[in-house]
Amino acid sequence: MRPRRFTALVFGGLAVLTGCASDAPLDTLKPQGPISRAIDDLSDPVFLIAGIVFVIIFGATAVIWWKFRDDHSTDEFPDQVHGHLRAEIGWTVGPAVLMALIAVFTLLTHFDINSEDRDDIVVNLDGERTSWDPQVVVVGQQWWWEFRYYFDGLEGVDLSDPRHLPPADIVTANQLVIPTGSEVGLQVTSRDVIHSFWIPALNGKRDAVPYRVSPWKIEAETPGFYFGQCTEFCGLSHSRMQMQAVAMDPLDFQAWIDEQTQAATEPVGAAAQRGKAIFEGQCARCHVVNGINDGGGADLVSNAAPNLTHFMSRTTYAGGIFDLYEPDGSLNRPQLEAWLRNAPAEKPAYAEGRRGMPAMGLSESQIDDVVAYLQTLGTSPAMEVIAATEVDR
Amino acid sequence: MIETTSRAIGVYTRPKGNTGWRDWITTVDHKKIGILYGATAMLFFLIGGLEALLIRLQLATPDGTVLGADTYNRVYTMHGVTMVFLVIMPLAAAFANYLLPLQIGARDVAFPRLNALSYWVFLFGGVFLNMAWIFGDAPDGGWFAYAPNTGMIFSPGKGMDFYALGLQITGIASLVSAMNLIVTVLNMRAPGMTLFKMPVFTWMILVVQFLLLFAVPVITVALFLLLFDRNFGANFFNPEMGADPLLWQHLFWIFGHPEVYILILPSFGIISEVIPTFSRKPIFGYPFMVFSGIAIGFMGWGVWAHHMFVSGIGPISIAAFSVSTMFIAVPTGVKILNWLATMWGGKIRFNTPMLFASGVVSMFTIGGLSGVTHSLAPADTQQTDTYYIVAHFHYVIFGGALLGIFAGFYFWWPKVFGHLLDEKLGKWNFWLMIVGFNMTFGPMHILGLQGMSRRIDTYSPGFGFEFWNMFATIGAFIIGLGVLAFLLNVWISARSARGAPPVGPDPWDARSPEWFTPNPTPVHNFDEDIQIESLDEFWHRKYGLDEDGRVVRVATAEEVCQDGSATDTHLPSPSYWPIVLAAGLPLIGFGLMYSLWFCVPGGALVLMAIYGWVFEPADDPDGSHDHGHDGHGEDDAVLLGGSAENAEEAPVG
Repeated sequence: MRPRRFTALVFGGLAVLTGCASDAPLDTLKPQGPISRAIDDLSDPVFLIAGIVFVIIFGATAVIWWKFRDDHSTDEFPDQVHGHLRAEIGWTVGPAVLMALIAVFTLLTHFDINSEDRDDIVVNLDGERTSWDPQVVVVGQQWWWEFRYYFDGLEGVDLSDPRHLPPADIVTANQLVIPTGSEVGLQVTSRDVIHSFWIPALNGKRDAVPYRVSPWKIEAETPGFYFGQCTEFCGLSHSRMQMQAVAMDPLDFQAWIDEQTQAATEPVGAAAQRGKAIFEGQCARCHVVNGINDGGGADLVSNAAPNLTHFMSRTTYAGGIFDLYEPDGSLNRPQLEAWLRNAPAEKPAYAEGRRGMPAMGLSESQIDDVVAYLQTLGTSPAMEVIAATEVDR
Repeated sequence: MIETTSRAIGVYTRPKGNTGWRDWITTVDHKKIGILYGATAMLFFLIGGLEALLIRLQLATPDGTVLGADTYNRVYTMHGVTMVFLVIMPLAAAFANYLLPLQIGARDVAFPRLNALSYWVFLFGGVFLNMAWIFGDAPDGGWFAYAPNTGMIFSPGKGMDFYALGLQITGIASLVSAMNLIVTVLNMRAPGMTLFKMPVFTWMILVVQFLLLFAVPVITVALFLLLFDRNFGANFFNPEMGADPLLWQHLFWIFGHPEVYILILPSFGIISEVIPTFSRKPIFGYPFMVFSGIAIGFMGWGVWAHHMFVSGIGPISIAAFSVSTMFIAVPTGVKILNWLATMWGGKIRFNTPMLFASGVVSMFTIGGLSGVTHSLAPADTQQTDTYYIVAHFHYVIFGGALLGIFAGFYFWWPKVFGHLLDEKLGKWNFWLMIVGFNMTFGPMHILGLQGMSRRIDTYSPGFGFEFWNMFATIGAFIIGLGVLAFLLNVWISARSARGAPPVGPDPWDARSPEWFTPNPTPVHNFDEDIQIESLDEFWHRKYGLDEDGRVVRVATAEEVCQDGSATDTHLPSPSYWPIVLAAGLPLIGFGLMYSLWFCVPGGALVLMAIYGWVFEPADDPDGSHDHGHDGHGEDDAVLLGGSAENAEEAPVG
């Protein structure tokens, strides 16, 4: 009976066991927003029903095995019962009714999470108050995510060619920043293969299909740092295509907008200036820094590389997999240097097929210079965000 | 001896003799073909199992380095392709081939040479697919091969060509065999066997053949489109040129979901024979078992888009497919409850086949219930593409299909090989497998709900995945021990049976007509036609009711069974051409991939084989028949199963 007891443990104790895993930042059973909570409210009772059916069936099986085992006490044959019409009708109609009931609640939730219920939020752009219909364009490519903010709204923004998107007010990578308390619409697309955008604490997933724009949405109640993972197999570094949502209260969000809409400034210091020259000669072939080069496209299959204008304002890079900061808030320099030294060794990519960052062949002093320059790009996020990034990896 | 003077030039006589390897490669005997299917599929099972162990080793610890990302992607792709197309499907074909003619009281299938062709095409297709390893370029796009990740830009090697062509070839095998078995069931049943006196296994196989008949053409189309995209610059799946990559998903899953039932229904059939036998009761609700199987077959066509709930197909279609998916749980539930009702009130003997069959009932229940939880489209947006799904379909395909096949091995081993498998090792086999299975796939429910994605080659520490992954890896090796116990059992049982007389007739006190033949089944199957009067005809010949309505034995198994002594049964002659034709197909495949010149010998081989096939003498007068009987005029009247037997004599065979 061991395996049955074991599976009973697995199913019956599912909620308990996953609940115990306090260090599971991708947990699907701990909703942190109204959308994910709606999903959870629908699935929890069904898990319960499934658990009850499981116990009934396994209990019945155990009883049958025990009660009707051949104990060799008699030679007599059991009654040759061929069937029972009413029983058959019962266990056809019964489950059908149960499923119909579940279907009603499923459809209610389904149309709820697929509806749009956004309110405009007022943001300040260059001192001008603008009413923004909060939507973010989410673009997947091998193996990182881009987020584009158009504060004039998406009407009239041509998203039909994801490799040549119109210029946006803010372009950032791997960390989606949203204000708390507002439903934020997502327009999900891809520049190469199919990816899937998923922040389990805030909503289920939606595939990013190349040259298709799929609507989705997200909402967080409390400021926080929410982990995500690409969940559609997208080639070599699929497992290393991660992302996070950073939810800020509206004031912090406004401050974030203020910072992100600034172009990069001229660096001070000799090393940073040398680094800027290297950046312009090498990195700018793919990466954009607003104020240095404009988004003319990248020498890559996806025609895009992460916009680095506010690199330091993010806590992760390279598809959200490396921490930019140490827990104490200082720069995680060894990892960043290793990445600049030989990116494909840190994260598998097909650099020769123009997919992923190649080894740049920089000397150690050049790497130091580039790091010095990168540190001038954007300001560090709050310590809470840096701390929340740490998942003991 | 009859003189043949009018033999056309270039026409070979049919192969002679029925011993040695020459017999195995020219045989058209459904039983030998069944054994070939089974043995080949078990070899592929070991390869696929090895791939599974590599996957589990890579994932046992965070930041695993056993395989690396590139190799991991190839290994998991080939694991899926192998287990679905080269293990479960052909194992079902093994049982169908061996048992279906016996269950309907026929002498062979309708088209014996086509049957041999199916096997050889499957073998060459499977070998072709695995040649990808030797060429160092195994497919890396997943068994689902979602476009455009499988296009030339994103998968520039030859791997996905091996995938497309290999599956194309094995698809031919499935189609040919589907048509063959449908004709066999519809035309060659023993006198008196109406459709509703057919054993449930035969019914389920019939449903599966119809599913194959309609599903395989869909993937054939998809694979051709992929092949043209990759090799001839077509743009069926290229979004840059305006194609919609979701087209692939629709085609793949319109095939892929019926495929799930193609995998599971044969196992349902097997345990529907095993459970009544070991409960000593007839199957409960036979018509409901049959109709629920048919219902699953029909409804299986209306649920494919539940694989695409998050692909962006639009809320209305998702709603429709979500509801249709929920209701497919109903016929499946009917089956589970009918199996339980069959056991209820019975006298259950827990021999190894019954242990495995009970394993199917319980494990499949878990897979079915988790299936219901992701028929809820909103819940599925959290669950899809996580390990929760991996857990679900392994409970269905391993816990449902594979355990059922093992039940079938233990149940019908004496029918096929004339000796029983060892019970003690069989129980080791069962318990190791079921414990290992639950240890491996049970925790994956938890991992998936904790957010572990599928198809990731590694994971970082800190996401809470470490413990259950290590646990699952240990479980996978326990499954491996279970498989070893099975192989050991096959070897030891065969050794201890050597020299001993074959097991007597009817070792399990069985119920269905295949047990009318002695064990092992003689080459001609039945000595004479069996007259079918009821379902479980074999059991009804052994038992009757006394005046109080109690079951009493009226005849011994020895009295009811035929003794296999007939010597004048006309049997179809063996043929060279099925293997020759099949051998041409991989050459054409290599030609499409490397140089079109290879297609020339490949095509020539196929054409030559078709020519030889059509013109070879229907019945070689010089060839020996298994019982030394040559002519086939005077005894046509006693041919089993009616006139359809003559199909082999017509050039269409």
